[in-house]
Amino acid sequence: MTRFLRSRQTLILGTLSMLGILAMWQLSVSLGLINPFFVSTPSLVAQEFWVQFQNGDTMRDVSATLYSFVLALGLATGVGIGLGVLAGWYRDVESALEPFIWFKYSAPTVAFYPLFIAWLGYGTPTIVAIAFLFALTPIYANTLAGIKNVDRDLVRAATSFGARPWDIFLRVALPGSVPIVVAGLQLGVGRALTGVVVAELFGGNAGLGYSINYYAQHLQTTKMMVSIVIIILLGVALTQALAFLESKTDAWRVTPKK
Amino acid sequence: MAQIEVRNLSIEYRLPKGEGTFTAVDSVSLDIEAGEFVTIVGSSGCGKSTLLLAIAGLVPIADGTLTIDGDAVEGPGPNRSVVFQEASLLPWKTVLGNVRFGLEMRRWRQGDLSKRAMQYINLVGLGSFADYHPHQLSGGMRQRVNIARALAVDPAVLLMDEPFGALDAQTREVMGDELLRIWERDRKTALFVTHDIDEAIFLADKVVVMGRNPGHIKDVIKVDLPRPRRGEMLDSDAFAEYRRRLRAHLAADMATMHLVREAV
Repeated sequence: MTRFLRSRQTLILGTLSMLGILAMWQLSVSLGLINPFFVSTPSLVAQEFWVQFQNGDTMRDVSATLYSFVLALGLATGVGIGLGVLAGWYRDVESALEPFIWFKYSAPTVAFYPLFIAWLGYGTPTIVAIAFLFALTPIYANTLAGIKNVDRDLVRAATSFGARPWDIFLRVALPGSVPIVVAGLQLGVGRALTGVVVAELFGGNAGLGYSINYYAQHLQTTKMMVSIVIIILLGVALTQALAFLESKTDAWRVTPKK
Repeated sequence: MAQIEVRNLSIEYRLPKGEGTFTAVDSVSLDIEAGEFVTIVGSSGCGKSTLLLAIAGLVPIADGTLTIDGDAVEGPGPNRSVVFQEASLLPWKTVLGNVRFGLEMRRWRQGDLSKRAMQYINLVGLGSFADYHPHQLSGGMRQRVNIARALAVDPAVLLMDEPFGALDAQTREVMGDELLRIWERDRKTALFVTHDIDEAIFLADKVVVMGRNPGHIKDVIKVDLPRPRRGEMLDSDAFAEYRRRLRAHLAADMATMHLVREAV
């Protein structure tokens, strides 16, 4: 029994601290220490969660958010990997793209937000554009690094067997960079979700971010908390899915066990 | 005419930031006959690996000539294959995939590639590990794959760049025996770079001793020990005499190295 507990120590302690916070939250309202109008309570949030789940609000928000998310991530993956491969293989392409990436790293993406609204209006196109920009950089940067930092020993070995540049690209550089590209995608997933929610907060007409903003303006704290909880759950699910994909593609990177 | 002819060969490396060039190999001449097992021994920085890589066609030559069977070396070619110090295996491919990879890059067209690859995997004793990935193998096993990959493409000349350098002493001895067992089958021309004196003598028909600053050949010693070589020979008087000669050469090289260091 003690061994069972020890092997799951992290999980158990983590769960306990979560439950502790929820209990404190509930108690502090029940004891009249804090006004529930501003913080709601876990039990109210749970009830409201069930209500929204049944009346279809959850489905509506989640599908709107996921729609923008999938579009943005898809675009960022295509463009990021495409440009990353080109820039990793051709030095000139990398140099040409350098200033944009540099600006992108230095300036906060949300600064472009009003510009996109002016161009694309309120709604999905703007949300996708912002989320696309959020997700693009890590995917591009990782792909670039993966192709560029191809193992020189492997290139030399392949060359000694008569490999041509195209062989090196297809058979050594591309497969060799899969794990780091997937790591970039993992970052991209988190950032695309952030991008969608932030964009929905300010200029959406649907989605979880829009709901948060809407309920906040109508001082419906419990309903707002539900949307926040759903975003957290969505983020955890997506990150876990990508972590699983990474563990699949990364198997051969595991350090040899002696 | 020797199979490999090296004449007044010089190899230079460009130093970073345009600080000129560094001469790694300076006017070296060497003949290697077909079917000969030649080892090159020398302290680090004597240009022994550079010379081998030049013969492999992986390092450009600055001056002199380098021919194999009369043809000038201008790059890697199907008559040579290299066993690298780092096993240089594709980590995402299995043992079989890695040995096949050499054949695929060579555009090998005769028969079934997997069958041929398996034949050489069996030859190096890894038959039951064909589906393993490199990270699941020990250093010695990875070098066996490296050797299988090099042999499978049927080279006229086998070039080995300190292939056992990273292995422990026991594994190293076993690998030396194994290499000779495989080599005895068809006695292809072999060139083997090492910094281990015993290994150099044990394997070779001819030991080339190189010195540094810049890389040059100090001596070429013919080894008249009978084949097949046996572990006991390491304890023989004849072996001790070769060892003494090589050590004297390398000690002299080390001494000058220290002098240079103190002067700086």
